[in-house]
Amino acid sequence: MSTLLEKHIVELLQERNEKAISLLYEHYGDTLYGVAKKVVRDDELAQDVLQESFVKIWKKSDSYDATKAKLFTWLFRITRNTAIDKLRSVNTKSDKEIQMDVSDVYNLGVDSIRPEFMDVRENLDKIEDKYQIVLEALFFQGMTQQEASDELNIPLGTIKSRLKIGLRELKKIYGSSMMLAMLLNLI
Amino acid sequence: MMKDKIKIFLDSDLLEKYLLGTTNKQESLQVERYIAMYPEVRETYIELQDNLETFAKMHAIRTPEGLKNKILARIRTENAGRRKFLRYAVAASFAAVMFAGASYFLWNQNQNLQEENIIVNNKIESLEEDMREQLEDVRNQFIVLNNPQTKRYNVKGNNNAKELKAVAYINPVKKLSYINVKNLPNLPEDQSFQMWAEVNGEMINLGIIDKVAGQEKLLALPYADKAVSYITIEPKGGNNTPTVENIVAKIDY
Repeated sequence: MSTLLEKHIVELLQERNEKAISLLYEHYGDTLYGVAKKVVRDDELAQDVLQESFVKIWKKSDSYDATKAKLFTWLFRITRNTAIDKLRSVNTKSDKEIQMDVSDVYNLGVDSIRPEFMDVRENLDKIEDKYQIVLEALFFQGMTQQEASDELNIPLGTIKSRLKIGLRELKKIYGSSMMLAMLLNLI
Repeated sequence: MMKDKIKIFLDSDLLEKYLLGTTNKQESLQVERYIAMYPEVRETYIELQDNLETFAKMHAIRTPEGLKNKILARIRTENAGRRKFLRYAVAASFAAVMFAGASYFLWNQNQNLQEENIIVNNKIESLEEDMREQLEDVRNQFIVLNNPQTKRYNVKGNNNAKELKAVAYINPVKKLSYINVKNLPNLPEDQSFQMWAEVNGEMINLGIIDKVAGQEKLLALPYADKAVSYITIEPKGGNNTPTVENIVAKIDY
């Protein structure tokens, strides 16, 4: 989206300017916090994950390659992996194994969604649950399509088609609200 | 063919796995190759990234108050730690280099001193040896010269070397014999006088007589009951066997 801002942040990161972290937090903090929360499903843990992720982002800043991934993709990977590691270490620490209950994991925490984010609740509602479940399994839980098929007990072909339709819907919703937001901004 | 290949690739989960960063090194390389080679794959990848960002943003949650400051504080201590570490690392490296340098210097010096020590020891040993020999020689000379039983023979050169004058001292009791060559005639540059002794039928090379040094010196001769010494003229540098025609003096004792 704001490629100029991304470029600026990347430059700051490569100069090892602390301002980069501040800007990253302002523009991606909420989203990455949402990602962390989705994976660990605990406020405290999600905060730890976000802290650790930003430290990693700062430490690894010279390893970011803009030709290989968008800035957000890179941030997402780090945050998601940190969250998964955190979940594993917590699970091994406390003996009680937290079972990855599908209904729990893939249920959207709609209440906690940031409401001012462009009628998100409304937008999400527009994507049918069956598509959302597949998108979440693939994006947040990092399942392969085969794994999602096994876990969700949905045939692989259905997973594939739901993913495609889900993404298309997503684009449609997002595209229109983006247009609206941009128009509003222009006015 | 190529279309099939791309379709198979896109149908596999590799691109999605790559998007989330869960591919292994080999898989990543394969995906990156496909992205670089096929526009269709590249477009799909960009689309996936956009979708991921959109989808994630839809799940954004307001971060708790104060978390940003906590994170910034941690980044700052991280930096301070890194700087401190760097400082220590620089100091440690410097110290290591200094230590290595000093060690090498000292080791080198030790090595040199050891070598010098060996040389000095050898010198002392050879000096001791020399002194012992010389002392022995001087003592023998003293015995020969002072002993009443010592006989003194005047040696004169034959027609080939009329100026040759020498004195031989023989002591049959102590079995010692010496010769003092007083005067030697001049020889051409390429010739020199050489001394020999025939002891028990064996010819012994006693070496070249040094004209200058020889005058003050008593040369020890090997002693035998019926020994004969010769002085011959030989090519410069000496000969292995005496040249009989060139005998200039003969000393029986």
